[in-house]
Amino acid sequence: MPDKKVDILQGTLDLMVLKTLESMGPLHGYRIARRIEQVSADTLSMNQGTLYPALLRLQQRGWIKPAWGVTETGRRAKFYSLTRAGRKQVEEQTANWERIAATMARFLAPDNTPSR
Amino acid sequence: MDWIRILLSRCAALFRERELDDDLDEELRTHIEFAAEENRERGMSEGEAKIAAMRSFGGITQTRENYRMQRGLSFFEVLLVDLRIIVRQLLKSPGFAMAAVFTVALGVGANAAIFGLFHAVLLQSLPVTNPEQIYRVGASGNCCTWNGSMGDWGIYSYSLYTYLRDHTPEFEEMAAFSTINSSLSVRQVERTDAPRALNGEFVSGNYFEMFGLGTSEGRLFHSADDRPGAAPVVVMSDRAWREYYAANPSIVGSTIMVNGLPFTLAGIAPRGFFGDRLTNTPPELWVPLNQEPLLHPLDSLLHLSNTHWLYAMGRAGAGFQPAAAQAHLTTEVQQWLRGQADLSQNDRANISREQVRLSPGGAGISGLRDYYQKALYLLAAIAAVVLLIACANLANLLLVRETARRHQTMVQMALGAPRNRVLRAVLTESILLAVAGGIAGLGLAYFANHAILVLAFGNTKNLPLTGAPTLPVIGFAFAISLITGILFGIIPSWLSSRSDPSDALRGTHRAIHGGASFAQKSLIVFQTTLSLVLLTLGGLLTHSLSTLESQPLGFESNNRVIVGFDPQDAGYKPEQLSTLYQDIQSRMKQVPGVVSVGISSYAPQDSCCWNSGVDFQDAQANSSSSKMTSWLRVSPDYFQTMGVPLLQGRAIGAQDTPTSSRVAVVDEAFAHKFFPGRDPIGQHFGMGGIAGHAEDYEIVGMVENTRYVNVTSSQNPMFFLPMTQSVHFQVPSYNRTDINSLYAGRIELRVANSHEDLEPLVRSALASISPNLTVLSMISLKDQVALTLNQPRLITQLTTCFSVLALILASLGLYGVTAYSIVRRTEEIGIRMALGARRSGVISMVLAGALRLTILGLAFGLPLSLLGGRLIASQLYKTNPYSLAILLGAGLLLLLSALLAGLIPARKASSVDPMRALRSE
Repeated sequence: MPDKKVDILQGTLDLMVLKTLESMGPLHGYRIARRIEQVSADTLSMNQGTLYPALLRLQQRGWIKPAWGVTETGRRAKFYSLTRAGRKQVEEQTANWERIAATMARFLAPDNTPSR
Repeated sequence: MDWIRILLSRCAALFRERELDDDLDEELRTHIEFAAEENRERGMSEGEAKIAAMRSFGGITQTRENYRMQRGLSFFEVLLVDLRIIVRQLLKSPGFAMAAVFTVALGVGANAAIFGLFHAVLLQSLPVTNPEQIYRVGASGNCCTWNGSMGDWGIYSYSLYTYLRDHTPEFEEMAAFSTINSSLSVRQVERTDAPRALNGEFVSGNYFEMFGLGTSEGRLFHSADDRPGAAPVVVMSDRAWREYYAANPSIVGSTIMVNGLPFTLAGIAPRGFFGDRLTNTPPELWVPLNQEPLLHPLDSLLHLSNTHWLYAMGRAGAGFQPAAAQAHLTTEVQQWLRGQADLSQNDRANISREQVRLSPGGAGISGLRDYYQKALYLLAAIAAVVLLIACANLANLLLVRETARRHQTMVQMALGAPRNRVLRAVLTESILLAVAGGIAGLGLAYFANHAILVLAFGNTKNLPLTGAPTLPVIGFAFAISLITGILFGIIPSWLSSRSDPSDALRGTHRAIHGGASFAQKSLIVFQTTLSLVLLTLGGLLTHSLSTLESQPLGFESNNRVIVGFDPQDAGYKPEQLSTLYQDIQSRMKQVPGVVSVGISSYAPQDSCCWNSGVDFQDAQANSSSSKMTSWLRVSPDYFQTMGVPLLQGRAIGAQDTPTSSRVAVVDEAFAHKFFPGRDPIGQHFGMGGIAGHAEDYEIVGMVENTRYVNVTSSQNPMFFLPMTQSVHFQVPSYNRTDINSLYAGRIELRVANSHEDLEPLVRSALASISPNLTVLSMISLKDQVALTLNQPRLITQLTTCFSVLALILASLGLYGVTAYSIVRRTEEIGIRMALGARRSGVISMVLAGALRLTILGLAFGLPLSLLGGRLIASQLYKTNPYSLAILLGAGLLLLLSALLAGLIPARKASSVDPMRALRSE
């Protein structure tokens, strides 16, 4: 087990879910959760349960839509897919995050002494 | 846009709850199954795989709850659930619930009652159409009659009113009405019953139109009815019609005799309309202004253009600008004054300074308001303090409950209850309690309100106010209880939500830490502080009132009855009066129970006296600084009947007839002021400011000073003239006053200790002299005197009542906290006793705790009480606002009740069985 786990920042979970659905196509809840854990290489501390209120929130905003379907193993499950508004949202939020991340990175760089 | 979509989907979710719940449950179930399956594939056993799946999922219930919260309008769902639980819990501890509701009820009840009075007297509009459009022309408190310029205009002569009415198009309608009501004697034509005295108001013809009134029966009169020579009509109030004539429709349109003259009763005013001002003597008969000369043939005011006696009110027209209208009215008044021929030099010079201010008229003329305003503000402040004490009590109760429930809260949070849910539940509980208390308080206010009205106005029979809570009062009570609930629920709920769940598991709630919290103790100190202030104020006011009531009056008020009558309205001419008074005195003496009879212009403490300057024959007396005096006419036997001691000379007697030499009796103050160290008997004086009259009256006697105005105010030196001796003056206004003063207004009866109901006997005695003689009023002198102390009595009794409430609340609070801390300290006390502490030691320990808080509260309360005394100093009569004795008394009372509140729990503490206390851990 990695020794440092990070709490999920408020609002980041939404983008993770959107990005996952964008790259993977329609998925059910458990797959989304596993995918987020895998991508973060188990550095995130997340109860899988917190995913569900987030999924509902995204549905209410009209960014994803649910549909009952059948998995490859023949089980019934609820699949979530991005809507068009959701796709736009991924782009916007990604750009937003990159800006924030870049700014934070500059602040946190080891030799961040202003040159002027 | 987002929030609309969310709101819509949330609303939609509300209606498909079950279905959605099932959907979610299935989704979560499949999630766990997927996870468990994957775990099994990794080689875990069946059981391990399931547990690992659940662990990585987190709390399923919590997820479901969060999901639901996100889904529906969960606020109301949660509220309903919370309410159900809260009600169940409250039913389990009825003592707490009742104490909390009772506390809030007292606080809210006191405030709602005062607000009810406040609203009715100070804020409420007249029951007329669009009262906000009505303005009073004038803002000053002038009353009655006024001659000459006013500076700040408030009342007008008929001539000035009609001028203003015709020159101000910005008013849709401008009406005028008399400042004081006239007592009118009314009789039905074909009946032979004794005439009835109705309260009449002279109003302009457009009075009812200006107020926008319809009618209930018959018609209201119009401008056409208010012209010289118009057929005389009157309108009767609905209340009078129902009360005196049993709402008999046949009298509407019929002819009635008013002061012996035939008038047509045109109609009945709408039900609930009580005239243009709030008073306990509302008008019962409205008479057009132009009939005034007919009803007051001797002292008619209608055609005196420089005697002002009418209020004016106007209804604003479209596009009304108050500031512009005010400026215009001012110009018009000045314009009118310039046209007046008989204006004094001084008044003419000041015309440019005369002004008119507009004031809102929708609430009516504000006589009663002005009288009660100060008292009401004081009472409102005191009621607010009671509410604060009640709030402190509620907070304390909630704190106690919160601490008692801490364990439960901690377990809830350990099980995953979100912090804000816990906070909300506690807050909801306090709001629920406060609102329940508010409703109970309204009930209390209903009863209190009526009692207060009786206290405030004495006779409430005719007062157009009821104790029934109106919508604003209900709203007010609801608002303050809601605020109380929120404000004082926040503290305990915040403390609750701070509980550390792990404490519950460690069992810290059983720890022995000392009794009540700092917050609880502070609240007790706070309550004590405020209680001391209220008790001190109550003490000061009570002392002031009893000083007032025990002031020497100069007359006997026991066994005296004052009867009001009006021989002028009954049609008597001045030359008939002498015989009339003799008849009255001899007829009244025959009434069983009557010991002696006097007649006078005025009775003590009841709209006293004529005021005049005097001139003396004696040069020394004539050079006195101020020669303003008050006087009235009295009959033989008057002083004896009233119990006024004669100090020197003789009283006015039967020998003082219209033809005998003119005499006067003076009071001690008169003699003392004008003839210091000299004998006043035999001195001469007369009305001042007119040459050749300084020897009109010879002083024949001196009586003791008598309080004629009221107990508190200072009065002029007084003299008394015989009922029937008049002087002929060259100046008409002097003559008019002199002739008017010949008409008596009061009959004084000294009655035996026990007597039957005098009223019918007196009524028929008067009627036997002339059917037009009516008893206008009848009151015992004792009640009359008490009436002048109505307002101080109202303030005092309510303040005392409120301070006792405060005392009860504070004692209850102290009792609650002490009792509670005893429970918390049972183990400690057990250990103390096991180690040899005596019962008396335990008792004194507990009492000392309670008394310490009280003494601390008293220390804080002392400066505040002094400040309070300072603030009400103007309401006190001959009472030191910083009275040490009263402060001490209030402090002792609080200490005593604290002792009592502490003693009960202390005795309980001392009966703790050490063994049981120790074993309970």
